[in-house]
Amino acid sequence: MVSGNTSQLPYVSDPDVQLMLRAKGGDDAAFEQLVMNYQKRLVGIFYHLVRDQEAAEDLAQEAFLRIYRAREGYRPTAKFSTWLFRIASNLASNKRRSWGRRKEVSLNLQDSGGLGVRPQEKLLADKSALMPNRQLDKSEVQSVVQKALEELNERQRLALLLHKFEGMSYADIGESMDLTPAAVKSLLSRARENLKGILEPYVR
Amino acid sequence: MDKTTRLTPEQRENLVAYLDGELDEETVEILEATLAKSPEARHEVDMLMRTWALMDELPQPNPSQEFTVRTLTAVKTEALTEQNGNRISWYRHARRGIMLGGFAILIGVAAFLGYHATYSLMPDENEPIIQELEVIENLDNYSDVRDIEFLRELAREKVFDEESDDKTP
Repeated sequence: MVSGNTSQLPYVSDPDVQLMLRAKGGDDAAFEQLVMNYQKRLVGIFYHLVRDQEAAEDLAQEAFLRIYRAREGYRPTAKFSTWLFRIASNLASNKRRSWGRRKEVSLNLQDSGGLGVRPQEKLLADKSALMPNRQLDKSEVQSVVQKALEELNERQRLALLLHKFEGMSYADIGESMDLTPAAVKSLLSRARENLKGILEPYVR
Repeated sequence: MDKTTRLTPEQRENLVAYLDGELDEETVEILEATLAKSPEARHEVDMLMRTWALMDELPQPNPSQEFTVRTLTAVKTEALTEQNGNRISWYRHARRGIMLGGFAILIGVAAFLGYHATYSLMPDENEPIIQELEVIENLDNYSDVRDIEFLRELAREKVFDEESDDKTP
């Protein structure tokens, strides 16, 4: 039962907020329930961002741990899912930055005399294996869509995923990604335009 | 194509929000009027919808079987670490408090002993003055007296006794 000064906050009726408030009060079973409720969704989002199951699970675990650590100071100022995906968004950004630095180092090393396939050549080879003028099976379609998604920048990708798989409104996406609804509208418009540009040959 | 049926950049940006149900009523009406007149705009909407639908084909990976156990174990470890941290923190605070209290008592005792030791061992500069206070107070009178013989002579003549008698009522 949630009581006290939190009862006047608008999001307190959200069942997951109720669980979080119980977790704040020391109810570990409530926190366990939150993990059960969100693990698949969180791992799914991270998987599409990092394209690696293990890394996605590590990030999801870290997100849950951050929530657990923050429980004592928790106040229901947003829907629980919005708060969770804001943490996820921050984690993904941090991860991208650290990977970016690592990639830079590894690319510099490759530049010093590597004779491997260049990225553009690899992209061409990948694309030629999936020419749009033939019927694609399910796994090929998945691969094409996944590659199209990878062509988007990370913010566009995250906004698309939150909207598509979490059904989040522009306002909620904005809260999760620290953007105004107008900026989300613009971001999603560009993302969908880019996606259309890449996938249009496959839907004709 | 008629210019009035062509999508403006703003309308183009609005198309996605239109499909997502995120536009206000007035903008929807204007956009739908344009769509009704423009096959190009309708094609655009159609392509946006169909490419968006392809996203449903993306695999939705399940967390591995160990994920839940691993995560909940990590959470429990975190809770234990917090408890130990709190206990250690409480113990540290208590120890620090006791040490500070001990130091304060030591300093107090040292100050008390120091004061008394100093008071008893060091000579008091005022002591001789207190002892000679009577002389100091009558120094002017004593200066008027020439020598001790003169005083004795006055005593023999009972001058001091007369003064005493004068004072008695």
